[in-house]
Amino acid sequence: MPILHAEGLTKEVDSGERQLTILSDLDLTVFPGESVAILGQSGAGKSTLLGLLAGLDSPSRGRLAMFGHALDQLDEDGRAALRAGRVGFVFQNFQLLPTLTALENVLLPLELTDVGDPQARARDWLGRVGLAERLDHLPKQLSGGEQQRVALARAFVTGAELVFADEPTGNLDPTTGARVIDLLFALNREAGTTLVLVTHDHALARRCGRCLRLSDGRLSAMAREEVEA
Amino acid sequence: MKALALSARGLRRDLRASDVRALFVALALAVAASTMIGFFLDRLDRGLTRQAGQLLGGDLVLEQSRPFAEDLRRALEEAGLTLSDQVDMVSMVSYEGAFQPASLKVVDSVYPHYGEARVDRGNGVERIASGPQPGEVWIAPRLALLLEVELGESVRVGETELTVGGLIEREPDQSAGFGNFNPRLMMHRDDMEATGLVQEGSRVEFELLAAGPVEAVDSVAPLLERLRRDGVEVRDVRRDRPGLGNALERAEKYLSLAGLAAVLLAGVAVAMATRRYVDRHLDTAALLRCFGASQRQLAQLFAWQLLWLALAASVLGAALGLAGQAALLALLTAFLPLELPPPGVLPLALGVFTAGAVLVGFAGPTLLRLKRVSALKVLRRELDPLPASAWLVVAVASLVFGGLLWLYSGDPVLAAVLLVGGLAMLGALWGIGAALLGLVLRFTARLPQGSGSDTRRALRLGGRQLARRRSASLGQLLAFAVTFFAMAMIALVRGDLLTTWQAQLPADTPNHFAINIQPDERDAFVETLEPAADDRTALYPMVRGRITAINGQPPQAAVPPESRGDNALRRELNLTWQETLPEGNRLVAGEWFDALEDDRAQAGWLSAVDAQPLTERVPISMEDGLAGRFGLTLGDTLTFTIGSQEIVGEVASLRDLDWDSFRPNFYVIFPPGVLERFGHSYITAFHLDGGDSDTVRQLARQFPGVSLLNVDAILAQVRDLLTQVTRAVELVLGFVLLAGVSVLYAALTASRPVRTHESGLLRVFGAGNRLISRVQGAEFAILGLASGVMGALLAELATAGLYVAWLDLAPRSHPWLWLTLPLGGALLIGAIGHALSRGLRRQAPAASLALLGEA
Repeated sequence: MPILHAEGLTKEVDSGERQLTILSDLDLTVFPGESVAILGQSGAGKSTLLGLLAGLDSPSRGRLAMFGHALDQLDEDGRAALRAGRVGFVFQNFQLLPTLTALENVLLPLELTDVGDPQARARDWLGRVGLAERLDHLPKQLSGGEQQRVALARAFVTGAELVFADEPTGNLDPTTGARVIDLLFALNREAGTTLVLVTHDHALARRCGRCLRLSDGRLSAMAREEVEA
Repeated sequence: MKALALSARGLRRDLRASDVRALFVALALAVAASTMIGFFLDRLDRGLTRQAGQLLGGDLVLEQSRPFAEDLRRALEEAGLTLSDQVDMVSMVSYEGAFQPASLKVVDSVYPHYGEARVDRGNGVERIASGPQPGEVWIAPRLALLLEVELGESVRVGETELTVGGLIEREPDQSAGFGNFNPRLMMHRDDMEATGLVQEGSRVEFELLAAGPVEAVDSVAPLLERLRRDGVEVRDVRRDRPGLGNALERAEKYLSLAGLAAVLLAGVAVAMATRRYVDRHLDTAALLRCFGASQRQLAQLFAWQLLWLALAASVLGAALGLAGQAALLALLTAFLPLELPPPGVLPLALGVFTAGAVLVGFAGPTLLRLKRVSALKVLRRELDPLPASAWLVVAVASLVFGGLLWLYSGDPVLAAVLLVGGLAMLGALWGIGAALLGLVLRFTARLPQGSGSDTRRALRLGGRQLARRRSASLGQLLAFAVTFFAMAMIALVRGDLLTTWQAQLPADTPNHFAINIQPDERDAFVETLEPAADDRTALYPMVRGRITAINGQPPQAAVPPESRGDNALRRELNLTWQETLPEGNRLVAGEWFDALEDDRAQAGWLSAVDAQPLTERVPISMEDGLAGRFGLTLGDTLTFTIGSQEIVGEVASLRDLDWDSFRPNFYVIFPPGVLERFGHSYITAFHLDGGDSDTVRQLARQFPGVSLLNVDAILAQVRDLLTQVTRAVELVLGFVLLAGVSVLYAALTASRPVRTHESGLLRVFGAGNRLISRVQGAEFAILGLASGVMGALLAELATAGLYVAWLDLAPRSHPWLWLTLPLGGALLIGAIGHALSRGLRRQAPAASLALLGEA
């Protein structure tokens, strides 16, 4: 059974006098354990698609199922409940809360679940991303790469089955970005997670099992050579 | 979700944020102000009720001019009340040929229900919880002096001889005022018959003092109502507690007003701080939504977080309130002679409830925004939920504040009037604020660009920054204006109260009364007194007369049932005549006699001192309060019996007078030419320097029939009270000012990120620290000046309304306010704003620019 299944997904928004179609009649199926990269130019609608796939937004038309549950049958709270503990996120701008320490940031998604000993679990994951010594540091005391590593720990700490990543290296220099990519895929492999990421970084996309191009509101499969180019 | 633990942890982390600190301070101040004043007034009220029981002599006092019937006694005893009999009369007391009128108080063995007498029985002053024993009398030291009698000697009272067993320093039930001019003699009831003083037609007052639980008094309420209708004077300790006097009553009102002002200010601070709190937590809320939190969980999380904050603030506020009320009591201890009961729980509960209400009312609608945040905001930062409607925020805050007004005043009509008035004021303020801001911004925009001094450039830039966020600037302007208004109003009322109190008892306030000056002694008395007295009131003639009819009906039938037992109906009144309105009196209706001159010839009431018996009505001037109690107005008639004659007076004017003035005051004043024919004496009040006992001795020797009463001690006590009340008022003013500063802090904290972002941009474009500092200074100055002007306008209007409607003070203007408030406002806002943004001005532009919405 696919972990994610979209059919005829369309997103239109009002733009003054006319309607703007961002995504048009788009289909996508993702199976457990897959890693899928969605590539596209700036403004192609990558983040909009990610928001729809993660159930953060509702499509104008079309159907979407996550873990076998039709999202259009659920309200906001129902979709949130579906994500709780099962979906992880990594953002371009890290989205760490500035008043929380690294440890507290990782603890945040665990507060919404009933896992045993969340402290130990969060410490363990921070150790895995190499930040065992920086638990009590606030985000502003960490470098960009370190902040993104905290975000990675936060995405995986709940034992998520599905991780969405939005331009995870977009705010990092190439060297740091490469280290973060290594770490992301190592954790993904280790945890057996399904990964859906949107990016315009071909180096990152190359590491995924499947690459899709988002253009003119539609998805199309990309040949390996296209990604390598 | 473990909302409780999560919210507590969240709050602990959040304590680093300035908006949370501002919220905490505002809530703590609201609780502190309300509990301090609540504790104080509650303890004062309970203490005074207890004290009143002692002053009255019982929980219930019945008084009439004939003995009480047995069945009434039985009914009261069956209800669970303990009874004590007392008889009051005036009689001559003699010792070895010296005679002196004395005020006799005949008590039984149960006396007193409450308290103790302080009596010197030859071994210094002792506290004794009983009255004199049969065969002995206790007398006032003044009576001993006048009769030159010593302890152990016998005085004649009526037809019997009784031994002087003690000198009374203080009676347990000492409620007599200036009416009781004769020195006291207390004796036992068993000796009364032997005196032969109580006979048919004697002027005797019989009192039945009852003590017992509240329920017992309540159970006889219908009986008491019937007694009142029958003309028995009934005093219930809870209903007829002796007045606190104008000064303390006004102080109580001031404290309540100041408490509400502090709560309102705290509410405004909470509203301002909540906006920043919510802005800061939008990302957290979106992230939590992303991680799977439901709207309900989010609402619970933030609600719990703020409830924890309110709880912590309540604990601190209650501690501050307890300390504050202890300070208030310490300031007033000398005035409050009795030990007050310990603080009750109710004010504490009220304080915590106030914090919760302020939080819900002033923060609730804004907090709902957190619940509505979209998870998509984690991907698209611009997706902030719409701010709560300004109307909703104002409506909910008004409803809650109206409820608090009702709770604190106990008067729903007053609360509704204040609320509607306040909202109308807010509406007007909005319009005035918008116009004023527009005017200032137009002015700054016209300042020429590119040239001129740094100050001009700073003003122009500061004005433009305000203009760019016009709506937020207007909100801040209103918050500052309301803050300055509340601070100024409380300060103005305090100043005017103090001025009024100081004017009430100037240094030369009369400290002696002279009573019973005979007409033939009058000129000589004045001649003797004049060189020594600093100040003296007029000599008022006094004729004693009884009201025997009102509008042609028996008085008991003509007045409202609750006034049938009024003292003024059962006793002779001191009547006087005056050509002009006496000092300290104010006409509130009708006209004074000199305006009625046209009627004189026709009526003939002013023609001759020894005219024929009067058949015409004469105009009289009546005290407004008595007329109110009797339900009388202009044109009503009162028949007075003076000796064997009757005079009918028609109410021609009503007067308001100050009973605390230490001057002779009269319920009824006649015009000259009416009362002169009757036997009369004179009364006057005068001021002598403290040490001038020679004059007193000379007056006493030269005019032995004149009673001289020294009220220096009472005057000193009242002055002391005013000083202490003043300090209490100042303490509360301090609280209100603190609450005001907390609003300014919260408002400036809320706008800090925007200002920082703007200064970061200016820095990027090449502005130096000095210019940025000036631009921010100009912004603060513009806001401070404009809000100061609005605050002054509001304070003038509101204090005028308060004085007329509530505090019974004459309205007055305060021109200096129009200068000090705008300038002070600019300085205060400038100082706080400058201090708050100091660190941020030093920040690198990159850090400043990144701060917006994320700090």
